Amino acid sequence: MSMTVLTVDDSRTMREMLRLALADAGFRVVQAEDGIHGLEVLQAEPEMPQVIVTDINMPRMDGFGFIEEVRGDQRYRAIPILVLTTESDAEKKNRARMAGATGWIVKPFNPVKLVDAIRRVAA
Amino acid sequence: MNQIISQNGQNQAGGMKELISFRIGAQEFCVDIMAIREIRGWTAATALPQSPSFVKGVINLRGAVLPIVDLASRLGFESTEASDRNVIIVAQIGEQVVGLLVDAVSDILTVTDDVIQPTPDVASETAKSFIRGLIAMDGRMISLIGLDRVLPDMELEAA
Amino acid sequence: MDPLAAIRETFFQECEEQLAELESGLLAMEGGDQDPETINAVFRAVHSIKGGAGAFSLEALIRFAHVFETALDEMRSGRLAPSNDVLKSMLRAADVLADLVRAAHAGDEAEHPGAATLAEELRTMSGAAGAEDESEEDWGDFEFQPMAVAVEGAEAPAAAPAGFKVAFKPRADLYAKANEAALLLRELTRLGHAEVELDAHDVPPLNEIDPEAAYLSWTVTLTGDADETSIREVFEFVDGDCELEVTPLGGSAESEGGEPAFDLSSLLARVQGDAPAEAAPEAPVEAFEPVAPPPPAPVVAPVVAAAPPPAAPPAAANETAAEGQAAGGPRKTEAGATIRVDLDRVDRLIDLVGELVINQAVLAQRVMEAGLARASAVAMGLDELEQLTREIQDSVMAIRAQPVKSVFQRMPRLVREVAAMTGKPVRLVTEGEGTEVDKTVIERLADPLTHMIRNAIDHGLENPEKRAAAGKPAEGVVKLSAAHRSGRIVIEVSDDGGGINRERVKGIAIEKGLISAEATLSDEEIDNLIFMPGFSTAAEVSDISGRGVGMDVVRRSIQALGGRITISSRPGKGSTFTMSLPLTLAVLDGMVVSVNNQTLVAPITAIVETLQPKAEDVHSLGGHARVISIRGGFVPLIDVGMALGYRNEPLPATQGVALLIEGEGGARAALLCDAIQGQRQVVIKSLEANYRQVPGVAAATILGDGRVALILDIDTIVTVSRGDMRKAG
Repeated sequence: MSMTVLTVDDSRTMREMLRLALADAGFRVVQAEDGIHGLEVLQAEPEMPQVIVTDINMPRMDGFGFIEEVRGDQRYRAIPILVLTTESDAEKKNRARMAGATGWIVKPFNPVKLVDAIRRVAA
Repeated sequence: MNQIISQNGQNQAGGMKELISFRIGAQEFCVDIMAIREIRGWTAATALPQSPSFVKGVINLRGAVLPIVDLASRLGFESTEASDRNVIIVAQIGEQVVGLLVDAVSDILTVTDDVIQPTPDVASETAKSFIRGLIAMDGRMISLIGLDRVLPDMELEAA
Repeated sequence: MDPLAAIRETFFQECEEQLAELESGLLAMEGGDQDPETINAVFRAVHSIKGGAGAFSLEALIRFAHVFETALDEMRSGRLAPSNDVLKSMLRAADVLADLVRAAHAGDEAEHPGAATLAEELRTMSGAAGAEDESEEDWGDFEFQPMAVAVEGAEAPAAAPAGFKVAFKPRADLYAKANEAALLLRELTRLGHAEVELDAHDVPPLNEIDPEAAYLSWTVTLTGDADETSIREVFEFVDGDCELEVTPLGGSAESEGGEPAFDLSSLLARVQGDAPAEAAPEAPVEAFEPVAPPPPAPVVAPVVAAAPPPAAPPAAANETAAEGQAAGGPRKTEAGATIRVDLDRVDRLIDLVGELVINQAVLAQRVMEAGLARASAVAMGLDELEQLTREIQDSVMAIRAQPVKSVFQRMPRLVREVAAMTGKPVRLVTEGEGTEVDKTVIERLADPLTHMIRNAIDHGLENPEKRAAAGKPAEGVVKLSAAHRSGRIVIEVSDDGGGINRERVKGIAIEKGLISAEATLSDEEIDNLIFMPGFSTAAEVSDISGRGVGMDVVRRSIQALGGRITISSRPGKGSTFTMSLPLTLAVLDGMVVSVNNQTLVAPITAIVETLQPKAEDVHSLGGHARVISIRGGFVPLIDVGMALGYRNEPLPATQGVALLIEGEGGARAALLCDAIQGQRQVVIKSLEANYRQVPGVAAATILGDGRVALILDIDTIVTVSRGDMRKAG
């Protein structure tokens, strides 16, 4: 039973990069294009993702909003969330943490580190 | 089975042998019980490429990969269409463990060495290479098989 | 083309969409559109292009997109007014960005004539708006990020202490963010030998327990080679959400952590009685008198049981503590105490655990087939069993593990020898010598490592004159490091030399016919050309690293261990070879396929991609020989069923799925199978143990249905299929 990871990113390139790295590591990947889509996928997905990886800058609902929604929902609040952020952006990292992010992944991500980070937060 | 084997250990010291006999078609054969690890039902085997026809494939025996030798085919008879009625005798041959596909296990015999008669010259070469001797018992003739040549020989087959 | 190259194409497609979005957004703003979502969309377009460019190290593009993004961010935050002049510049910047995207797509590295001026213009805008310019160094790190694999603790553990005491007290915030103390402790215990002490002092009486609060804290005594940096790294995500103290063992005085941590009976008393906890003067406590004053003992809990979730009912916490006390008591394991065990016994245990894993998988499959809900008690119990089984497997595998020290130790001498032969002063820095990996993997690492270190000195480092000219110290540095990452061991060999001369490498590859002269390759692709068979040139072969072996041989030996190797290089700064290897040879990541009703497993490391053959791409060469055209090149199409003698007539290519694989020596071939079932980690079982080698079959495994599946020996299938494999049999 492989672990399911929900990736939320508006960039197709990033979604594909994430899928490649995660599928390589044996994870099942479900994708969403922005925060709202992410919440829809959470609701529709029969297998609750064990980890969420989300971008911050997204249309409709950004990463901060998405994290707050997830943390505010009894059903999902225990799911670890990793945000994708650039190294230089300490402010975003902090805002994401305030919103309830479990951890972060520095973009452009190294697949090994990505998987490592996921394994670190996933039960 | 454990009990029998441990008894057998003592018996053998006194020149006695315990053998397990089984049927292939109408014929009866036996092997030294010391080589037998267990007897189990047939399960479908995974076919092995590049293998002689008497190797039915491999099965999972509690995590070990076990080759199954169709003993009928190996001895030069028609090959067995295995079904649930068949039995696999799991035997230790040297360092390896092998499953022997036979029709049924019939008996456990206790014999002394002197009842084992030499194989007559009339037997075919194939038969002679496996049969170590003959035992006459209750009007039956049982061939004692040596297991050391049951598996395909590496060099021979590679040629 | 590997999957990454396919994503690269996706990226350029997406860039075009984003460029269109960018342009239309800027035009709308010029036309008076003041919707904040418009500027957000414009910003996101540039941000996404930068992000993707970063992933593919397209440096010119990253630089420009970054400057552009900064200016847009100023505008977005209202610090830069979207005046007509500003928008005009932005539109010109959008054009330059489009040019740069197209140039990057074409692999054209020529300077863009307008980029520098426009970048300056954008910078001035942002600067004028009061944005602090990001430092160049910071940015430089960012670019290098995609390839860099972090190496723990840069300082050499010369006189490292024997270990650390880690005091860890989570705050409620930690749990609120879905971090788990148990996982952090698990991670920590992987760094060395760990003893975990639970402190439940702060657990209040039952009626006062707040399910959202954090009451427990832990003290971990960690012995082994881990340094402080790697310990702190474990807690990176929870920095600020916990109290953390890392103190070297045997250093300063024992702090509170060493004191009796937990007095069960007093806790019980507090939970059950109303009496104040400390004073406990009279009546209600009396009932507990007989048990009240046992010598307080530190709770040494096994890691698995170390962390009841904070919201767990206190009963569970008590249970855990009680268990810990019963089982652990004041037991202190002597650090470094060992026993000698016959290797056969260990291997038998590994076998048994392998069986357990398979059995567990069989059971899981049966439960699934029985149609039980995922949330049913059985399925949940099974999930726990799976977790436990995996942990047992890891622990058992760890028994066979040894530190890489034994092979690292051989390298200093090699370095001295090669340094003497090349006349280059070299310093070898090693890190992570204590990192453990399966004994067999270690034994088979020596050759590739030797070759890579020779290579790093001979080809990587410049001679002292060149180094002096480049302003580098005369002494070159070669670094050898090992670390655990995601259940694999990552070994890096890096040098601080000149980096890969990409022009020359590309030239050689073209000259050798390895790539076409028109090929557009990313820097990364060019760097990786050195792994191609036949790349090492006569001019290249020197006494030291030549010997007729190229990096392709290194790559092959790494692949044979189920590993991967990549190189990253920065011109003028040096190169890093990164090897990622499985911790054990007992398991393998496999692609499960069906061929003629047989289930087979192909090692994932050999598979480049999977594809659905189209009729027009498949060409017959007479007989059963076929080739398939993949992006303009022809690759032999091998019918696995035929190759293994499972069938006599080839499968029509369009009815199957092809695995594009890269076999020994880099030769590519497409293996035609009936269908792909999925990816899975499988336990490797020897066929030779009870049978013999079978051509085309590397080993066997046991799948979830309890049946044996064969693991393909891809190299043999490819090599032998050139003749007819079945004739050989």
